[in-house]
Amino acid sequence: MSASNDSLSSPYSAALFTGLWKENPTFRLLIGLCPPLAVTTAVKPALTMGLSVIFVLVCSNIVVSLMRNLIKPHVRIIMFTVTIATFVTICDMFLKAYTPKMSEMLGAYVPLIIVNCLIIFRAEACASKSGMVISILDGIGMGTGFTLALCTLAGIRELLATGHVFDIQVMPKAFVPWLAFQMPVGAFVTLGLILGLITALTRKKGA
Amino acid sequence: MLKLKLFVQESWLLLASSFFFGLLIAVTNAALSGKIEQNKTAKLNELTRTLLPDAAIFQPVQAEIEVTLPDGTKEAARIFEALSADKQRIGWSFMAHGSGFSGDIELVMAADKDFQKLRGYNVLVSSETPGFGDQMKNDYYRNQFVNAPTEPLTLSKTGNPAAVDSQIVAITGATVTSTAVVNLVNTFVVQIKDQMTKKGLIGNVSQQR
Amino acid sequence: MDTFVALLMGFLSVVLVNNFVFTKFLGTCPYLGVSGHLDKALGMGLAVTFVTALSGTLTWMVDAWVLTPLHLEITRYICYIVIIAGAVQLVEMYVRRFFPALYEAFGIFLPLISTNCVVLGICLFLDVWGTNNLLEAVVLSTGTGMGFTVAICIMAGIREELMLSDVPEALKGAPITLITAGILTMAFMGFAGMIK
Repeated sequence: MSASNDSLSSPYSAALFTGLWKENPTFRLLIGLCPPLAVTTAVKPALTMGLSVIFVLVCSNIVVSLMRNLIKPHVRIIMFTVTIATFVTICDMFLKAYTPKMSEMLGAYVPLIIVNCLIIFRAEACASKSGMVISILDGIGMGTGFTLALCTLAGIRELLATGHVFDIQVMPKAFVPWLAFQMPVGAFVTLGLILGLITALTRKKGA
Repeated sequence: MLKLKLFVQESWLLLASSFFFGLLIAVTNAALSGKIEQNKTAKLNELTRTLLPDAAIFQPVQAEIEVTLPDGTKEAARIFEALSADKQRIGWSFMAHGSGFSGDIELVMAADKDFQKLRGYNVLVSSETPGFGDQMKNDYYRNQFVNAPTEPLTLSKTGNPAAVDSQIVAITGATVTSTAVVNLVNTFVVQIKDQMTKKGLIGNVSQQR
Repeated sequence: MDTFVALLMGFLSVVLVNNFVFTKFLGTCPYLGVSGHLDKALGMGLAVTFVTALSGTLTWMVDAWVLTPLHLEITRYICYIVIIAGAVQLVEMYVRRFFPALYEAFGIFLPLISTNCVVLGICLFLDVWGTNNLLEAVVLSTGTGMGFTVAICIMAGIREELMLSDVPEALKGAPITLITAGILTMAFMGFAGMIK
């Protein structure tokens, strides 16, 4: 983490907070876009997915950080993926055991966390270079940023497609569900418009 | 020998950590596999129980009953005998599947103890379009199958969905899904009924009528 | 003849109806990141097709002949990812040896294929779909790669045009690409239900 923001002088808080907004993986870096598009039809699965990613990210960051001085550079990618795959398998079993409904809804997208660019990117960019505490904080920060992005998208899509948020009726009864938002097109367009909004806002602030 | 040494040097970490990860997975699996299995059967039982509320035990039927699918392949049907708490037969439940508008549809179905009337279905697996084909999960469509006779059902575009008969009124905007459900019900129900009668599982009933 | 028709239907189904990019969002990273060059997109697509075909087939074989008989299903994900990494390595060596120019053009993209969702996706979905013979597995995994190629080629073509068009300032870059992708999924929805 070379980001030396003035207001976030301590490297620890920097590691924790950059992932939330400044380097938000979904909205700013545009990496690991598959889950934000695929599992955001409702808030519940999105939240489950976000928590799973936090778990995998923190665990893999810990292990990678522990091994960082031992890894030979040319076998590092395979080491990272094997580590991630292990924790994803564990996470998958936990989901199957404790929230079978969510596990079924997420389906193949849980094992697909293995190839989520976000996790391997953090292993490469942060955990393989920094100590354990920073790696853990970075994992939590990035994971939370990812989860927040997921929930924002899911909230908008669920509200427009069903009139519910978190299974609670929000819109008045007369609201006609906008089913397109539950289909793939809704995912792409919502994310596209949010990104556009963010660009517009940040540009104004900069000027 | 030199090559072996090089090999070990390059990959000892991979080997060691693989061992460690394997151990980790094995421990988790040992701790959770029982619960996962339990969840699977619990889900099936729960879905079946909504169809046959009085059932206490579901006993797999041992007799081999084969169903020929529309594409010509044969497969063994999975049928359960539903027993009440005092071991009286109160119905049958079985799995049925077929292809819908997008991807496969898998249902768990139930019939009464003489296999004369259906007790409805519950959806196990489906990926139909939300808002259209997905409506097959709604009571409006499902209730038409409750108490329908176990003979070939027909699909119509108009009619009275509340009437208890062999005519099913299609879901507006999802004709393909409606047809798929009716077809897969017909495929499984009729064949299972025929063969169970032949095997004598429900044979004596038709004579009583 | 019947098997041939079934295989052809399965192939068309994964290329058009169940296109991974448009219906399952797999491989959106390279899809959105692909530059506006049609020829590069085609090369990338072909490389991915080759890897999906190879690793889809290999994982199916390992799954059906090794993991399932030995009841080692819990190690499935790890085995899959190792096989994929191996297949990518193989392709990389092959391309470097025989097509050095292509290797230069691919650059960093080639090793990154191993973290492409499409590749792991097909391995997992072969299992979800319950593919039960080798031929089917080969056809479906090749088709998935082709579907990906079709998707990124369409996108690259559109981006070539987008460069010359007047896009609102805030939507330039990724946002307009995503919205375009959304409209494309609607076009591909027209294929839904064509194949049963």
